[in-house]
Amino acid sequence: MTFYFAIIGTKDNPIYETEFGTSKQGGDGHARFPDEQRPMNQFILHSALDIVEEVQWVQKELYLKTVDRFNNLLVSCFLTAGNIKFLLLHDSKAEDPIRQFFADVHEAYVKTLMNPFYEVDMRITSTVFDSKVRAAAKKYL
Amino acid sequence: MTSPASFTDSRPSTPRSRPTYLRSSTIKSSSSSGSLNSLFAAASLRSNPNRTLDDDAKALICRSFVPHIAVHVSADTDELAREKGFASFKEMIRPYGDDLQGRLTIRDSAGISNTYDDFGVRFVGLQEVAMAGEKWETGMTAWANGKEEKETGAWVGGNVDEVEELCELLIERAEGEQIQQVGYLQYLRRLLSALPVSPHETFSHPVACVIAISSRNTNPIESLRNLYQSGNQVQLPGYVSTDYLRYYVLVHDEDRDDIGKSTALFDQMKRHFGLSCHLLRLRSGGKTAITDDDAVVVPTPTWRSASEELSSIAQKDSEESSPLCLPETDASGIAVMVREMTQMSIVPFMERCIATWNDQVASRRRGISGRFLTMSKRYFGGSSNRNSTISASNYDPVSQSYPPTSPEAQMRKLADFAFMLRDWKLAHSTYDLLKTDFNNDKAWKYHAAAHEMTATSLLLTPTPLSTKARQEIIEPTIDVACYSYISRCSATYSALRCLLISVELLRLRGGGAADDAARWAVRARDTHGLGRTSHALITERVGDCYAQRKGTGNLNIGSRKRKAAMWKILAANEWATAGKPGRARMCLEDALPVYQGTEFGDVERFIGGLRRTVGMGGEEADEAEELDGGKGNRKSLVASMGEGEDVLKEEGGGDFVES
Repeated sequence: MTFYFAIIGTKDNPIYETEFGTSKQGGDGHARFPDEQRPMNQFILHSALDIVEEVQWVQKELYLKTVDRFNNLLVSCFLTAGNIKFLLLHDSKAEDPIRQFFADVHEAYVKTLMNPFYEVDMRITSTVFDSKVRAAAKKYL
Repeated sequence: MTSPASFTDSRPSTPRSRPTYLRSSTIKSSSSSGSLNSLFAAASLRSNPNRTLDDDAKALICRSFVPHIAVHVSADTDELAREKGFASFKEMIRPYGDDLQGRLTIRDSAGISNTYDDFGVRFVGLQEVAMAGEKWETGMTAWANGKEEKETGAWVGGNVDEVEELCELLIERAEGEQIQQVGYLQYLRRLLSALPVSPHETFSHPVACVIAISSRNTNPIESLRNLYQSGNQVQLPGYVSTDYLRYYVLVHDEDRDDIGKSTALFDQMKRHFGLSCHLLRLRSGGKTAITDDDAVVVPTPTWRSASEELSSIAQKDSEESSPLCLPETDASGIAVMVREMTQMSIVPFMERCIATWNDQVASRRRGISGRFLTMSKRYFGGSSNRNSTISASNYDPVSQSYPPTSPEAQMRKLADFAFMLRDWKLAHSTYDLLKTDFNNDKAWKYHAAAHEMTATSLLLTPTPLSTKARQEIIEPTIDVACYSYISRCSATYSALRCLLISVELLRLRGGGAADDAARWAVRARDTHGLGRTSHALITERVGDCYAQRKGTGNLNIGSRKRKAAMWKILAANEWATAGKPGRARMCLEDALPVYQGTEFGDVERFIGGLRRTVGMGGEEADEAEELDGGKGNRKSLVASMGEGEDVLKEEGGGDFVES
C-alpha cells in the first residue's frame, strides 16, 4: 500500500504534498510509486476536486470519506472549516484509520494556522508539520 | 420534384462522409502551394456536416438502425447500371437510400402519426445477405473468412480491427491539416455501419426485396417469375425469415426503348402486384461526365463498412478517377423511387407486421395468462419437459438460434421493427418481455442483445429519466448485456457497440447521466483488445462526457471541468505516443486553460513535456506567461516550468499568497 497525500488550498493550489508507504504488516513506510505514476497522482487528486466541490454541500461531516476513484485508486477527502482540502490517494478501502489520520493532520494544520507568520493558502514548509504528518501516517496507515 | 443536389443544400442536417474522400485526393496532389487550397476545400465542406455530426449523436444512432432492403435484379438491369459506370444496379441506387427526400410519416402502435425527415434505408445485395450470415462471429480476431469474402464482394461490418485501421488511416491523413477531420462520431458511424447478419438481432435481415428487370428484357413476365423463384432459392441463413415484401421495379431505358411498350408492361405489372411496383425511367448511354449538362455527382454511400471504405481509399490512391455522375433526371428518378417505395410500401408493410405480431404473439404474453404461461414454464418446465411439447424450448442450441417462426424470433422481429420505425415505447416493452425468455432458454447472445436494446430503447424514449431509474434499470441492464456479450459469447464487437451507444445517449441526457456516460466510456476503454486509435478516441470521449456536465449557480457546483481536462491530457498523451501530434495538440488545447498556472509540480512538468513532444513549445508558453502576468510571482513559476518545485521551495514564504 502506498499513499499520496496533499493539502489543497482554496485556489486549487497544493500547499503541502507528501507520499509514504504503509507501516502496517511489516511495511517500511516508503512510497513505491513508479516514476510515471507521479504526475498521474496529481492529476487524479486535482480531478477529484470536482467531486469534492459537489459533495461538500450535501455532507454534514468534515470527513467526506471516499469521494472518487480512478481505476483501482481511491481518493478520500477531509475538508477543514476554512475550505482547505486534505486529499489522500490510496488503493484499498480503510475508512477508520484514514479518519484518524486526517484528525491528527487537522490538528497539526490548525496549529500551523495559528502561527502569526502563516497565512491561508501559503505553502507549508515547516519540518515540524512534516514530521507530525509522517508520525500520524506511521501510526494509523 | 427537387434535384438531389439542391436537396442536400437545403437540408444541412445531412451528414456526409464525402470530405474524407475529396481530401484523400487532394492529399495526393498537395504540395506546399496546394495545401492552402485543400485546407479551404476541406473547411468549406466541413462547416456543414461536422457541426451536425457533433450535435446529433442521437440521430446517428437512429439512422444506423434502419430497414435493410435486399436487391435482386436481372442481368440486363445490372448491365444497364454497368454502362453508367456503376458496379451493379444496387450500387447505383444505394446512395439514395441513405437519406430519404422529404419527410416520412410513420404511424406508431398507438395510432399517432409522426413525421421524420432523417429516415433512411439500406440496400444490400440478396446474395450478400446470404453469404454474410454469421461469418463474423466474434468481431475481433476470428475473421478467418475475411479475405475470401472480400473477393466475392460482400462487405460486412462488425469488425473492430478494420474500423481501427480505417480511422488510423484517416487521422494520419488529417494530421497535415490543422482541422479535425475524423471525429469520434465518424468512428462510431463506421462501427455501426453494415451491421452483420446475425441470428440474435434482425436489423440487418431484409425487410423487403427489390426485384428489378429492365425494358431491354425480351421476356419480361417470364424473367420476373424467374427472379422471384431464384430469390426464394437463395440460401439465406436458417434464422432469416423469408417473409419479406417483394417490390417490383421496371427500369425503362429512355433512349433505346419505346415508352409505350414499357407503360403497357408496367400496367400489366400493376395489375399483378398491386401497389408495390415502380417504373423507373433512366437514360441509357455510357458514363456521364461531370462536365456534361445537368450532370450531378452521385453521393458516396455514408454507411459503408470499414473494409469497403478502406479498399475504396486504396483504389482512389492508386488511380485518379473522377466521381461517378448521373444525369439529373436519373438521379431524381431514383430518389423518388426510393422515397415512394419506402413511404408507400415498406413502412406500411412494417406497420402491418407490427400490428399483426403485436396482436397475435406479444399481447398474448403481456396479459395475465401470458405471465402465467411463462411462470409455469419456468417452474414446471423442467419436470414436464419430456412429455409436453408446449413447454419445450424453441431454442436450438446447436445453431444457437431460434427458427424464424418461433414466437421468440417473431417478437424479436416485432421489437426490431418497432425500433426501426422509432416507436421506442413498444420496442422497449417487447425487449423487456424477451429478456426473461432468453434467460430461461440460456440463449446468451439473444439475452445480451435484448438487454442491450432494452437499455437503448429506454434511453431513446423522450421522457426524462430519474436518477433512480438510471441506477436501477439502465445500469444493471447495460451491465448484464456486456457481461453476456463478453464472458458468455466473447462477442467483443457487440459489447463495444452496446457500450458506445449507451455512452452517447447518456451523454446527451446531461446532468448526472453524463457522469454515468463517462463511467461506461471508461469501461469501453478497458475493453480487451482495443487498438491504439480506438483507445485514444474513447479516452478523448471520456473527457467530452465530463465536459458535457455543466455546473449550476455562481460557484459552478457540479461541473466536471477538471475531470474533463485530465482525460483530455490522457488522450493527448496517447495521441502523442501514437505519433499523431496534430490530434494531441487539439486535446491539449482543450485541457490547458484548466491547468494554467497550476502549482502541481509534476503536472506542470508532464504537460510541459507533452507540449514539447507535440511541438507546442515557445510562443504558447510565453502567452501563458503574459496571461498570468498580473499575478506577480506566479509568473516566474510558469516560466520555470522545469524547476517549478525548486522555486516553490526557495520562495516558500509569503510570496505565493494572493493579495
